[in-house]
Amino acid sequence: MSVRAPEAVAGTARRPAVRRRRRRPGSGLVSALATVVLVVLAGAVAEVGARAGWWTPDVLPAPSDILPATAQIVAAPEFWPDALRTGTELLLSCVFGVLAGLLLGVAFWKAPGVGRVFEPYLVSFYAVPLVLFYPIAIVLIGINQWSVIVLASIMTAIPMTLNTWTGLRAIPPVYLKLAASIRCSRSQTLFRVALPAAAPYVFAGLRLGVVYALIGTVAMEFTTAQAGLGYQIRYLYESFDAVGMYAYILVIVAVSVLLTAVLEIAERLLLRRRDA
Amino acid sequence: MSLTVARPPGGSRVLLGSVAVAVAAVVVWEVASHLSFVIPRPLATAGALVRDLGDPRFLAGLRETLLAALAAFALATLVGGLIGLGLGLSRWARVVFAPIITVLNGVPKIVLYPVLLPVFHLGYGSKIVMGLLFGLFPVLINVATGVREIPDVYWRLARSVRANRWQTLTHILLPAIRGPLLTGVRLAVSLSLVGVVLSEFFATKQGLGRVVLQSYSGGDYADMMSTILLLIAISFVLSLLLWRLERRVR
Repeated sequence: MSVRAPEAVAGTARRPAVRRRRRRPGSGLVSALATVVLVVLAGAVAEVGARAGWWTPDVLPAPSDILPATAQIVAAPEFWPDALRTGTELLLSCVFGVLAGLLLGVAFWKAPGVGRVFEPYLVSFYAVPLVLFYPIAIVLIGINQWSVIVLASIMTAIPMTLNTWTGLRAIPPVYLKLAASIRCSRSQTLFRVALPAAAPYVFAGLRLGVVYALIGTVAMEFTTAQAGLGYQIRYLYESFDAVGMYAYILVIVAVSVLLTAVLEIAERLLLRRRDA
Repeated sequence: MSLTVARPPGGSRVLLGSVAVAVAAVVVWEVASHLSFVIPRPLATAGALVRDLGDPRFLAGLRETLLAALAAFALATLVGGLIGLGLGLSRWARVVFAPIITVLNGVPKIVLYPVLLPVFHLGYGSKIVMGLLFGLFPVLINVATGVREIPDVYWRLARSVRANRWQTLTHILLPAIRGPLLTGVRLAVSLSLVGVVLSEFFATKQGLGRVVLQSYSGGDYADMMSTILLLIAISFVLSLLLWRLERRVR
């Protein structure tokens, strides 16, 4: 494979099907164990440091204070409107972004001239710089969830588009010749041959897109919003509630871990079915 | 493979098309500005930009933002490159650290800004660190992947010509990973700038992020638009140049 997508950010997600099988058995277990040890170690250092007064509690409170506070916050009914707001924004931008990205990726594959015309913009606005448009979006749309959803959808759509397009271009031509020779219809060629063949790339784009949707959503809520998890972090910071702020940061870290895990599992299941 | 061709056939037509897209965007903007009073006219925005660029206070803000972004980018490339090198070379390090790095990559770094403020202070320190956090991961992940995928025969060649470590690094390793390295660097440029500007949205004494926020709250949308477009244009041009370079070396 000499093709490298210009947008290979999450390099680890690049060639999943080939890479993963070469892994020696047991390395997954070691990874999990090492991660647990590292997290516990970091927690212990934070605990000892906070207790011993290496830093003031408003910089980093002791984990033994943060964890119960997190549990309390999540259990309280006031938590859910913000979580729901962020969750809705995230879900809608992922759905819109993924659909738009797939559509554009296929369109650019069919009409490479059009694709090349738009490529410089897609590559240069690659996702995150779009956050800079947020003040413009809130002037146009208002400070509400739609200004977040619109920008986060575009952020998700860009890696989806570029990866789908790259994946489709990397299909060995013989696949398409085969499809033509057995007289597949156009939709059969696309859904049964082309997209499954491009699936590892499409999934890499999906992972990037979901990560960007989360990063963008939270960053925009953090900048200016009236609700949402990112907004809460800023609000608690400004009311000098360090423990509460860290509790919300933990919630966001947990959401991102959860999303990563779900995508990983979904990818393995789907690609296994494809490869079987 | 079309990606390896430096100049695809019809390259100038593609360029013309890309320019036409930009022109069309400005036309849409002009039309929209007549339909809605909150959208500043393109000409008014250009005027605001010219006025701003003559204003020494604006230029001081521009200088501070760009210097902070430059420092953040340099640090991100250095730190990310070194960690990526370590991860790419050592299977052991990959097994231990890969999950943590995947998770940290997915965490919205901006929420850590309140944490950085008391540690690195309000001036350059905290925004540079924020920009570093933004730009770090693409370099790190791309370098690690690039190093890991260097074909075995390259290493055997290094051994057979008895290259020392430094020679192996400069003559074998760096040329072999130049593609992914450039990808990481390109992403780090715009991400560092975004990290710095987002920090300035939040809290700062000086910088363009502050200018944007001030003109937003003052309702001076032409000023806000021109400053945002200036930032976007800087990030766009740098990314585009690096992307062209990237395609040429591939």
